[in-house]
Amino acid sequence: MAIKRGVSLYSYQQAQFFGKMDWKAQVREVREGLGTDGIEIINQQLIRDYPFPSEQFIYDWRNYLARYNMNAVTMDVYLDVHQFRDHVMNYREAAEHLKNDIRLAAKMGFKNVRCLVLVPIEVIEMCIPEAEKYDVRIGKEIHAPWPIKPGTVHDKATKGMAAGINFNAVDEMLELRLRTGSPYVGLVPDFGIFQFAPSEVSIEYIRRHCHNQDAVDFILEHAPEYKHDELIDVVDEKFPGHGIPVNSIDRLALHKPCCQPEDIKDIIPYIISIHGKFYNMTEIPGKPGQYEDKCIDYATPIKYLLEGGFDGYIDSEFEGQRDQQDRGVEYLVDEVEQVRRHHEMLKRLCGEAD
Amino acid sequence: MFDAFLIKPDSLRNDYDADGKAIGFQFAVRIADYRGCFLSLVNGYYINVDGTEYGRELQTFEINGKAPRTYEELKTCVWEHWNYDDAGIVHVKKEGGLAPGRHKIGILQSILAQYGYMPWDEEWVKNPPVPKPGSAEGGGKTETVSEFDLELQEGGNA
Repeated sequence: MAIKRGVSLYSYQQAQFFGKMDWKAQVREVREGLGTDGIEIINQQLIRDYPFPSEQFIYDWRNYLARYNMNAVTMDVYLDVHQFRDHVMNYREAAEHLKNDIRLAAKMGFKNVRCLVLVPIEVIEMCIPEAEKYDVRIGKEIHAPWPIKPGTVHDKATKGMAAGINFNAVDEMLELRLRTGSPYVGLVPDFGIFQFAPSEVSIEYIRRHCHNQDAVDFILEHAPEYKHDELIDVVDEKFPGHGIPVNSIDRLALHKPCCQPEDIKDIIPYIISIHGKFYNMTEIPGKPGQYEDKCIDYATPIKYLLEGGFDGYIDSEFEGQRDQQDRGVEYLVDEVEQVRRHHEMLKRLCGEAD
Repeated sequence: MFDAFLIKPDSLRNDYDADGKAIGFQFAVRIADYRGCFLSLVNGYYINVDGTEYGRELQTFEINGKAPRTYEELKTCVWEHWNYDDAGIVHVKKEGGLAPGRHKIGILQSILAQYGYMPWDEEWVKNPPVPKPGSAEGGGKTETVSEFDLELQEGGNA
């Protein structure tokens, strides 16, 4: 029983974009640079010609993971309901989509798929027989701003991505698990749920692009006084032409985590794997060689995971690159270094010996 | 995402017809996301060159080794994938093409990728969002117009 370290290759999206690291180089970095074996992928980032990869690709993938003695932990899958364009995909079609991803994950040796928090519970229930048949567990992501404990948040949004929120997502999954008794249904918490402030890289990005710095200052200072939709209206009213998109207002307005660290205690038995979301690892003042993300609490939730006997992977999910891609190549962040720093922190917090 | 890198450097060229007459211009684009997408979700670009806007009806999109297609044609490509690693080429009709020299280009990419069901889904089937500055609707992971200052290269497609 232990917390194991892995990496979502999402973390190397920029290196892949620029052709600096293909998936093989990414896998090697996890083995040789980080000394661990856990691999998570984004299906549509890594799988060429998704959803119809060649047999050669599948064999090459399995062979390469075997060569480096790696463990295919979780495949992240999506739900693009506009795929057919002439109609919104119905729930039965959405289930066929997820079932196909389950079969593909099994072919590539993955033990789990991570589905998005917005996938309706009915769709997941329709896929349980396929998950059992192919021995691939379905983990629903708990992604900010979703709460683990519904009832703690009542701020219903109608604007931006927050408009899709169903606050009962976690309870629905637990109800499905208990009702069916199927261990193939579980949760994938993302450490972003313990983010308590906007990342400095996000604030700087938004400052570079908005038309009014006062609007940014106002949101950072006064967001706690307003509900979600209210804040957007107030900012529009006070700073016409501010040029800050709704989703960026949401990012700036973050001032408390959507989940309390102790909330994770009750769901430990149902965790499939964990996303180690982070934006910017910096050296802890006075502690050379030790790193932290200043806006996400890792120490407290990891303490509870250790106490609760969590046995599974935390897969690094670096997301700070997108806020540093609006200028020249000299401003691009080094993803490999960021993930190495994140693993220094994980090792230290999880009590893993060097 | 990838704001400064959505148009590949050195990819701005004129397009020519069989008689060698310039009929438009082209540039290579990458997907502004961390994943590829079903080609059917590619919903066109807001394009502004030197202050003039070129609407989606003037654009075609070339990808996967096939001839350039209109967005109406792409809508039906529901099983084809725009792979994350690949560049597509946007062709824009413009009689005479672009003049030699540098051009200021602003683009906003619209990809109807989502993370599940949203309140506006039925509306998007009937009236897909039109990419335009100041609106992140249908913009996928690009929320604002990205600006480029590019030199027109020699040569181009016949």
